[in-house]
Amino acid sequence: MSVILFQSTGKRTLFHRLDFRSKAVLMLAVTVTAFVWEDPLAQAGLALAVFLACLLGGVRWAYLRVIFLLMTPLFILLLLTHGFFNVEQVRSLLGREQLTYLLRFPENWRLIGGGGLTREGLLYGLNTVLKTLSVVMIVPLVIFTSDVDQVVVGMVRARVPYTLAFIFSATLRFFPLLFAEAQTIIEAQRLRGLAVERLRPWERVQVYARIAVPLILGALVRSQQLEVVLQSRAFSGSPQRTFLHESRLSAADRAVMALALGGMALAVALRLLTGFGSFRG
Amino acid sequence: MDIHTPLAHFEKVSYQYPHRTDFALQEINLTVRKGELLGVIGATGAGKTTFCLTLNGIVPQFYGGRFFGHLRVAGLDTVDTPIHQLARHVGMVLEDPETQLIATSVENEIAFALENLNVPAEEIRARIPRVLEMVRLENLPKRHPSELSGGQKQRLAIAAALAVQPDLLVLDEPVSQLDPQGAQDVFAVLRELNHTMGMTIVISGHAAEELAESAHRLILLAKGAIVAEGTPEEIYGNVPLLEEYGVRPPQVAKTFWLVRHLLPPGASLPVRLSEGLNRLKDLPRPVHLPAIPASGATRPSAEALITVRDLHHIYPNGTHALCGVSFDIHAGEYVLIAGQNGAGKSTLVRHFVNLLQPTRGEVHFAGQDTRTLSTADAARRIGYVGQNPDLQLFNRTVEDEIAFALRHLHYPADEVRRRTDEALDALRLNDVRQRHPFSLPKGERARVVIAAVLALQPEVLIFDEPTTGQDLAGATAILDITRDLHRMGKTILVITHHLYLMPGYAERALLMNKGHLLLDAPLREAYHNLAALERTALTQPQAVKLAQALEARWQVPLPLLTPQEVAQCWLAEATE
Repeated sequence: MSVILFQSTGKRTLFHRLDFRSKAVLMLAVTVTAFVWEDPLAQAGLALAVFLACLLGGVRWAYLRVIFLLMTPLFILLLLTHGFFNVEQVRSLLGREQLTYLLRFPENWRLIGGGGLTREGLLYGLNTVLKTLSVVMIVPLVIFTSDVDQVVVGMVRARVPYTLAFIFSATLRFFPLLFAEAQTIIEAQRLRGLAVERLRPWERVQVYARIAVPLILGALVRSQQLEVVLQSRAFSGSPQRTFLHESRLSAADRAVMALALGGMALAVALRLLTGFGSFRG
Repeated sequence: MDIHTPLAHFEKVSYQYPHRTDFALQEINLTVRKGELLGVIGATGAGKTTFCLTLNGIVPQFYGGRFFGHLRVAGLDTVDTPIHQLARHVGMVLEDPETQLIATSVENEIAFALENLNVPAEEIRARIPRVLEMVRLENLPKRHPSELSGGQKQRLAIAAALAVQPDLLVLDEPVSQLDPQGAQDVFAVLRELNHTMGMTIVISGHAAEELAESAHRLILLAKGAIVAEGTPEEIYGNVPLLEEYGVRPPQVAKTFWLVRHLLPPGASLPVRLSEGLNRLKDLPRPVHLPAIPASGATRPSAEALITVRDLHHIYPNGTHALCGVSFDIHAGEYVLIAGQNGAGKSTLVRHFVNLLQPTRGEVHFAGQDTRTLSTADAARRIGYVGQNPDLQLFNRTVEDEIAFALRHLHYPADEVRRRTDEALDALRLNDVRQRHPFSLPKGERARVVIAAVLALQPEVLIFDEPTTGQDLAGATAILDITRDLHRMGKTILVITHHLYLMPGYAERALLMNKGHLLLDAPLREAYHNLAALERTALTQPQAVKLAQALEARWQVPLPLLTPQEVAQCWLAEATE
């Protein structure tokens, strides 16, 4: 499996041309906006915008699909817990006692008697789901459209300590290798006659748990090799170093930063002043 | 070239890794002189890597442990001088091309060390094209390192080391994971650097033929100590010494050693192919036609077990990895699949177990389309042993590892026990059955994987690059297992580009190049088909080249493959 699986370096989109710092500001703006808004409709608009931006930025649909699949259990859990149990917060946000029950437990049931699934709780759960999606999808948009070395330069220019920036970039480099190794181990299990697709869920968990040992051992070996390589290349973690590539903000970067910060300020202001983005049930 | 000024000086250097009682290096006394190309040879575990890592201070500064004696490189003590300062003087290239490249483009890879050394950006930009030209990668500055071939990756690592303009370039087994073309390219670059620029180079490894061509001097390590030191003629010409320490001599040296009684008294053995070809004239006309073992006669009589018809495979990124490949594999055959990196060998065999599906064409196993088999079902009949054993071990004991598949396939307990015992016996792993697989040496870990695959009693066993990174003893041990399995009636497929290892094992060769099947022939025919081998960038073993030179000189057919077979031409026990 290719090490560059998680990077969309093949394409040169607007996002690829932007400096990492402007994309980091964009990520901040989307995250703040997602947290400020609580209206499912507004959240849906934001999530859709981020999704489309991902596709425009060359983030592969296959990767987004994996994200959706992996997060589906969490999303179902969020919808159910909010739908069934988030009563007080929803009442407080709506300023009314009466909620619309879609399903109700009999009064005589222990602990949950009288409770049930509310329409408003479900909608609040949907808001949380969409909020999570926006925040999760903006990460690949920023990371996959940035050259790792540019990320380091951008972070250092943004006054992040070089050692921290390097650890961040090393993690980005390391992750695809670990992912490829995990795939190889799963493949080795299939080649031992193991039909994972025919296993019961708890058996699958047991099988996947076995991946951990070779994966961790492999990661330890790799990290040691990496450190030998780094030290052999005069890496000492010192901030006293030069950079081959300059990190300069272009007009487009400045425009994106201004739009992102302006949009974020507007979202906060509208929420505070007009209630736009508030949860209305 | 003047190669007298000392550059690195070992004085009674001994070293123990932390928590070890044995010495990785013992009483090393050695001077590396400016402008020389020093080869470091020895079996796996002899201390070659540790020796290399002392030169830039990684040993002992990074690993810790106990270091005795003194080592000075370019006037600096390697224990007292920080590693990042030593890096100005010593460039290091490691074995694995994958883990030592850390940047996202060729030029960034070269720039990394220079940035760390605070070299101004303008100077970095000036040095990049210079070093890329030295390693012949001048057209690829923007390329992502993962898109390079193995040989290109190692040349990039060399360029990254050269960019700091070191006094000494150290390479630890740089070609062990490369195909012959990649290895030749790397050695060509090293010779050029050494001969034209006077770069001092220390290189360790098992590449006997290449080291004989390139090195000024060799040291032979065993258990961390230097047991012999001398010119390639002195070291590689001493075949009994090399064999005593588990080191493979160049085939030309081995061949002439076997017929040494025919050489003029006191004559040294040739260790380079060109010398060997010249010295053939010193030998009399071959008096015997060596006994050529009959090639496997399984094909005409046996039914096709695996049928491949017009197989194409295109990866999602558009790479056309297989282009209309067709052939049959018959029950009981031992087949070598060879070709340069990227020829499509692994892609081909992964179709047999449905890890990949044809883009076009068909693969049938025992009459059944492999697309209709799950990988798990296919694995019961076709065992696949991948390259890196460490990614195929995931149980707590050797016994559990072998029983893993049987238990998951719900075999009865006594059947699991019986088959596990059989596999342990077959691979001679009984003594370590309760050990954790990762506590075993690499060679034994490879055997555990084979035993685990064998427990399913598959009819076919595929070994994907089983000899990569192994020394002679390790590679031979694995190939001996494949021969034993073949004798038990298994069909064996081995993927490798180490052609010199395969005579005596494989009977038939499939040569692949850029997704095409170039040649499907008996092993002898394939090894003597120079045109086909060259097209897929494989190198004929030296013994084959000697045989062809004899054939041309004496006009007798000599389809020979090994030094032993060539030597038989003059030995009494050969048959006419």
